[in-house]
Amino acid sequence: MSVSVSASMKMNDVRSLEHPTLKVPYELLNKKFRAAQKQLDREVSHVQAAALELEKGLNVDAVGAGEITRLLGGMVEKLQVLKRKAEESISEELHVGMVCKRRIEHLKQHCDPAVAAQWRRRRLDRMLVEYFLRRGYYQAATRLAHTSDLHDLTNIEIFMVSREVEKSLSEHETAKCLAWCHDNKSKLRKLKSTMEFNLRVQEFIELVRADRRVDAVKHARKHFSNYEEDQLKDIQHCMALLAFPTNTEIAPYKEMLNESRWDQLVEQFRRENYRLFQLASQSVFTVALQAGLSALKTPQCYSASKENRNSSCPVCQEWLNILAMPLPYAHCSQSRLICAISGLPLNEDNQPMVLPNGYVYGEQALKQMALENNGQVICPKTKEIFPYKKVEKVYVM
Amino acid sequence: MEACTAVEREIDKVLSKFGGINDHAKRCLQDLTCHIENLKEEIGTCPENQELTAGQVLIMKQAMNKVKESVQRLAADHRDLHSTVSKVGKAIDRNFVQDFASTSREDVFSGPDKIMLLNQVICQHFIRQGMLDIVDELVAEAGVKTEPSVKEPFSALNSILDSLKQKDLTQAFDWAREHRESLEAQNSSLEFKLHQLQFISLLQKGTTGQNEAIAYARTHFSQFVGRHEKEVQNLMGMFLFLPHGISASPYAHMLEPHLWSDIVDTFTKDACSLLGLSVDSPLSVSVNVGCAALPALLNIRQVMQQKQVTGMWSGKDELPIEIELGQEHKYHSVFACPILRQQSSESNPPMRLICGHVISRDALTKLGSVNKLKCPYCPVEQNPSEARLIYF
Repeated sequence: MSVSVSASMKMNDVRSLEHPTLKVPYELLNKKFRAAQKQLDREVSHVQAAALELEKGLNVDAVGAGEITRLLGGMVEKLQVLKRKAEESISEELHVGMVCKRRIEHLKQHCDPAVAAQWRRRRLDRMLVEYFLRRGYYQAATRLAHTSDLHDLTNIEIFMVSREVEKSLSEHETAKCLAWCHDNKSKLRKLKSTMEFNLRVQEFIELVRADRRVDAVKHARKHFSNYEEDQLKDIQHCMALLAFPTNTEIAPYKEMLNESRWDQLVEQFRRENYRLFQLASQSVFTVALQAGLSALKTPQCYSASKENRNSSCPVCQEWLNILAMPLPYAHCSQSRLICAISGLPLNEDNQPMVLPNGYVYGEQALKQMALENNGQVICPKTKEIFPYKKVEKVYVM
Repeated sequence: MEACTAVEREIDKVLSKFGGINDHAKRCLQDLTCHIENLKEEIGTCPENQELTAGQVLIMKQAMNKVKESVQRLAADHRDLHSTVSKVGKAIDRNFVQDFASTSREDVFSGPDKIMLLNQVICQHFIRQGMLDIVDELVAEAGVKTEPSVKEPFSALNSILDSLKQKDLTQAFDWAREHRESLEAQNSSLEFKLHQLQFISLLQKGTTGQNEAIAYARTHFSQFVGRHEKEVQNLMGMFLFLPHGISASPYAHMLEPHLWSDIVDTFTKDACSLLGLSVDSPLSVSVNVGCAALPALLNIRQVMQQKQVTGMWSGKDELPIEIELGQEHKYHSVFACPILRQQSSESNPPMRLICGHVISRDALTKLGSVNKLKCPYCPVEQNPSEARLIYF
């Protein structure tokens, strides 16, 4: 199974499709880097504090040896902690860096003709793993990644984190999602995310639902006081909610109390998580499948008579046929004809020939048939029988 | 290729710099700790309440300055790596397409019905691949229903595939022998490839397996010489390097694991066409064609956006450009009228003029007057009503 395209085109499909393959580990690297920097800064400041303390100890008039020894001991301890933390953080950075490196190496194999078929197969598996993850089929995704040995090449970890969060959200718990917000605070702020705010609103609503209205007010004071400009309206809605019974029929308060708001939170979380790692809203798999179905789709695939369908054509397959229905057809400004008997292309070497009933086949196949049937040909579609000499040439420009 | 190497260059820099800072931090902190520990020991020998001499205080102060300065520099050095890290991100954005999804529509595969259909397609794909464990997971997680009739033809093949994946050739040999005639009829090289693998595994035993391998080659390879002469030559060439190890010879590629995945592919393909199933999995054909088509679609989209031609992916019935498919993916004859540069359809079918040239019916009515038409490709004049409807 090969798609015949030139080498430069081949690289192009890597360029067009593999952005998330590299960008996600890069974002992880960046995150690890910032965490490491924070860690280092903190430990360095501890060492420096110890140094300052010792200097202070030296500046008094009578410097006792015992005191200095104690301070020096503290310093050694701090330095050792710094050393350990530095090693840990940097090795984590190196680890993520290696993931990037391995993925690039895998992408580079794309050009190697010896493994091309295999590579494409793994690409499909990679795409499917991602699609499963997006759909929430985590078991299937993990199993597939394991079977096809793709763990390093797919973004399974970030989806596994989100799986935990999604699970806790659907159990009506906010803690894990809040921890996630905290974890990615600066990025989320840059993206102008309303995730945390919406979680706080939900907590408020739950307090109201439980009829703990005083606690709700306290909660609001704590979390809503530093609101953003555009959140004021939402906050007002929240506060007004205090005035209504939990079985109110009035909009928007009825909607706020609806349990399905939790599902919206799950949806929002998914979207924000994609944005965080610059993942597109659609999976690579569906994008590629769409493009492929379109490129293969011809009016014949939907022709009323089954005889025009080809059992090898993906778009003629029952399910894909339905799925491809809304997609555009392939564009075709140049005729491409194949012989329905032999499957061979019709060209100068295999002239298209028309039978008296109007059906066109390849010269080679018709000649062969005539040879085996005393100079007679049978139209495979209408089962009519004609003498070969009634067959005429067709010129297609 | 350039895209990958550009990113790789940046990531290599990151790795080497982090490696460097790792070593540096280790060494530098080790030295500092040693230094301070020495000082501590030196002073620790003094009695508890003895005062430090002015010289000792000075040494201490110097040591503290050194510590402060070194750790400060360490943090600063690490911070400086930020630009190296962010260059990786920029290289990725520059060399890879970020908005690859811009050509597709989200609604095509969304909604419970379509998700279910797609899941069924995926299940069928994995059944074909013999990865039934994944099918089971999907059945459990996505609620896909698979009918036993779908699995049936594959279950026998799958057990063979499993044994192949375990690098056990016996079942596959049995199957190939059983179907030898039909396999030969479809020009299959399955049996040869099986023998080839068997032979290579004999050679991998080193010189001890040499006689066995020669005997094997003599019994089995002669029947394939007609179609696989070159390969047989290659295989026999491996004997030259047996004493020094084939992995260090020009034949090293014969030992690579992809030969094993190759045999799995060959087997699947041949068995499918024998059973009258489509040779390739429809899903993988579509996706691979899509991967090849996407760069062109993204390109044309960019051009059209610049020229502000919008709405080409909405409500249109054709892709804006022609996608070059390989011969093996041309499943249907498509006739495009050479005059109108348009695909024929049921309302505008191909017509054969009496001279043999084919144009579409719309073109025919446009070109011809009531009873006279000159063929656009040859001097023949004719009555348009003489043109005949044909079917490709």
